[in-house]
Amino acid sequence: MNEPSQYLGPMIKGTIDGLSITVRPGTVLLNAARTLGIHIPTLCHHEGLPPDGNCRLCVSQVGGRLVASCIYPLTADGFQAQTDNERIRYARSLVIALMLIRAPEAPVVVALAREYGVTEQPRLRRVTADGCLRCGRCVRACLTGGAEAVSLVGRGTARIVTGPFFEPPPDCVGCLSCARMCPTGIIGFTELFDRRQIWGRNFQLVPCPTCGRPWATEEELARLNADRLCPACRRRAMAEAISSCPTEN
Amino acid sequence: MRFADPDQLQDYCLNLPPVPPRRLWVCGGPGCLASGAEDLLAALRMEATKSGLKDTAELSCEPTGCLGLCQRGQLVTTEPDGYVYEKVSVEDAYEIVDQTLLAGLPVSRLCQDPSDPKAKNHPFYLPQKRLIMRRFGRINPERFDDYLRTGGYQALALAVRLGPEEVAFRIEASGLRGRGGSGFPAGRKWKACRTAEGDQKYVLANGDEGDPGAFMNRSLMEGDPLAIIEGLTLGAYAVGANQGYIYVRHEYPLSVARLRLSISNAEQCGLLGDNILGSGFSFKLSVVEGGGAFVCGESTALMASIEGREGQPRVKYVRSTERGLWDKPTLLQNVETWANVPLIVENGPQWFKSLGSESNPGTKIFSLVGQVRRSGLAELPLGTKIRTVVEEVGGGHLPGRFIKAVQTGGPSGGCLPVSELDLPLDFDRLPAAGTIMGSGGLIVIDDLSCMVDVARYFTKFLMTESCGKCLPCREGLAVIDGLLNDLCQSKAQIGDTDKLKELALTLSETALCGLGQSAANPVISTIRYFHHEYIEHEQGYCRSGRCQGMFIVNIDSDLCSGCGACQTACPSGAIIGRERKVRQVNTSKCISCGACLATCHFGALKTARRANHE
Repeated sequence: MNEPSQYLGPMIKGTIDGLSITVRPGTVLLNAARTLGIHIPTLCHHEGLPPDGNCRLCVSQVGGRLVASCIYPLTADGFQAQTDNERIRYARSLVIALMLIRAPEAPVVVALAREYGVTEQPRLRRVTADGCLRCGRCVRACLTGGAEAVSLVGRGTARIVTGPFFEPPPDCVGCLSCARMCPTGIIGFTELFDRRQIWGRNFQLVPCPTCGRPWATEEELARLNADRLCPACRRRAMAEAISSCPTEN
Repeated sequence: MRFADPDQLQDYCLNLPPVPPRRLWVCGGPGCLASGAEDLLAALRMEATKSGLKDTAELSCEPTGCLGLCQRGQLVTTEPDGYVYEKVSVEDAYEIVDQTLLAGLPVSRLCQDPSDPKAKNHPFYLPQKRLIMRRFGRINPERFDDYLRTGGYQALALAVRLGPEEVAFRIEASGLRGRGGSGFPAGRKWKACRTAEGDQKYVLANGDEGDPGAFMNRSLMEGDPLAIIEGLTLGAYAVGANQGYIYVRHEYPLSVARLRLSISNAEQCGLLGDNILGSGFSFKLSVVEGGGAFVCGESTALMASIEGREGQPRVKYVRSTERGLWDKPTLLQNVETWANVPLIVENGPQWFKSLGSESNPGTKIFSLVGQVRRSGLAELPLGTKIRTVVEEVGGGHLPGRFIKAVQTGGPSGGCLPVSELDLPLDFDRLPAAGTIMGSGGLIVIDDLSCMVDVARYFTKFLMTESCGKCLPCREGLAVIDGLLNDLCQSKAQIGDTDKLKELALTLSETALCGLGQSAANPVISTIRYFHHEYIEHEQGYCRSGRCQGMFIVNIDSDLCSGCGACQTACPSGAIIGRERKVRQVNTSKCISCGACLATCHFGALKTARRANHE
């Protein structure tokens, strides 16, 4: 999902943190670095979602400028990228300091703050600590899943994730992709017996035909066109199907 | 009339009906229109009809584009004498018709200098070189024939004979740079778009002028819409695009209306549409109204907005000339850049290079506002010193005041101190001094303005206009805004300035789009040149008397003329003294509101630190 397909041509060579690497043109810096085992912190990025480059945590240096690793395509032969130096650490620590204002208790932010030695500065607090970093992973998850139920609405600091007209989103299928993708885990949902509640919507959970455990919503199953088996039963059914295959000899 | 080839167009232009021997042009710029230019025009027409002039043949009182001298509006200029009348009201209509239209004599009392009523000798117009604005005061922007009569579409007629390669070559050789702000060489953009692969290409004009106090693009779209359209047609011809869009902000209804009218006029004449002037080249153009966000002036956000998506920038590691609108090669330029194109194609690159400075050829329209005697719209060769603009065009500081800084480049520009006023206005020297050219806004700031407050104002604007997509811009600007508010309300702590500087510098490195990367410029440049004011604010003192409660007022008895203006303005009765006597301040009563400061024309009022016990 991260590799734009419009780049053609021969493989290109370059270095990341001094280590040489050969990549297909258009390879995103983050992926190239990961193949070398170089760690770049990310937040708004997720392998399963289209990159957006909005949190700016993954900034690295290519040539003289800072770029977002998760979305920067390596296109020219002889690129020289750095993923960790004083300038980069400084920029990242500012980003983390700003994240701490919004989500001071989120484990992912706390861990980053510890790694980069950032402490909370009460004087910088100008917005409410609502736990949401507006990274839009939930929105992209919803879009990728095909529901397009929630989106980022509003401008500047007033930007929030919500359904149309700030009401419970009618297109929501209750699949919880948004909540699972949220890096700070702030998207609230409740599950009680066969009821699930998210974004102000109530869903009835459908039981698995084999084990009887209520596990997915009717709307979600309609969209996925699945055989209604819960993940555990599906694995078992698959395993049984494989083991009952007649062997060749 | 539909022109099938360039010859037909030229024949038509040569055989246009003659114009009346004397004409009155009423400024129809945004300012004059707001103060009643339409009433003035109606009054002039009525007086002219009364005095027996027949419609159209003899009588000519017409609206025209912005005449520039907005502060002295409403304005009327005359042809062929070239008089310019200032502060004209409906009551002056009779005299103007009687003296000027009938007899060709100036109405001296309406002129800046009664002994020399000509516009070309007016100190406001003297340093100017009006090329882009050459039709302002010479045509009615809604009349197609007026455009043709003043040399319109000659460039296109020439271009179809020259061929697209030559048109692109002329632009590249001219050294024209984008007028939208960054000054990117237009020729390089054209070449990239020309050579980009794809059968579908687009040309776009950016008319989403959002800077507070800027109105050059608006005036251009209202005053000479066809120049932009002709420029776009030439661009499309050169790069091989067949569709163009002009993106105009929704708040400019007159620009939208005039552009649409001009497009339909051009279509009727076969200058837009299929097989233009028999060249086989087809081009369609439409106007897109913006959604009202400042960030839509950013190229990728603008394209998203045209596509019907949310006006938000995207990460731009691939140029729009390769993948722009609907992922097709796109040539996007500011409307002013487009208006330069017909001039260059017609007169050649060498002519264009002779204007302006070496690496910054041509002229640029600046909107000069703020604390100067004459504010308005001025077109000057690039490389003109800021001092020339402020002191000659603008007429210098207001009485009793002195100029402290000049803010250039709109909200994301920077402030230059008086010591830097000899800098030339161009795309290279301004960034070196910590500011930007931007779209050409110049705001003159005098000693009554507080630099921290100026930074706070622009940061506030940018914060509310930030789209909120990337974290540094969204959250960072809120923090910067908060710290600046503290500084202006004596809630700051020692060290806040350093914290601000750190934040601002990192914001400009990490933000996603151009808006975010330049959003910290007001803070960075004011800290660079006015660090002492920040430090004073940390200590609770505002020297300019702008931030309430952070100063007291003293009166310099040597300078006080005893006029009493300050006493009248003081709401708390802190200024005492008798008629025609030097006034004094009762500091225990002074509430630091600053109401008195602007009233003194003698510079006798001075601010001082409040004593600690207060």
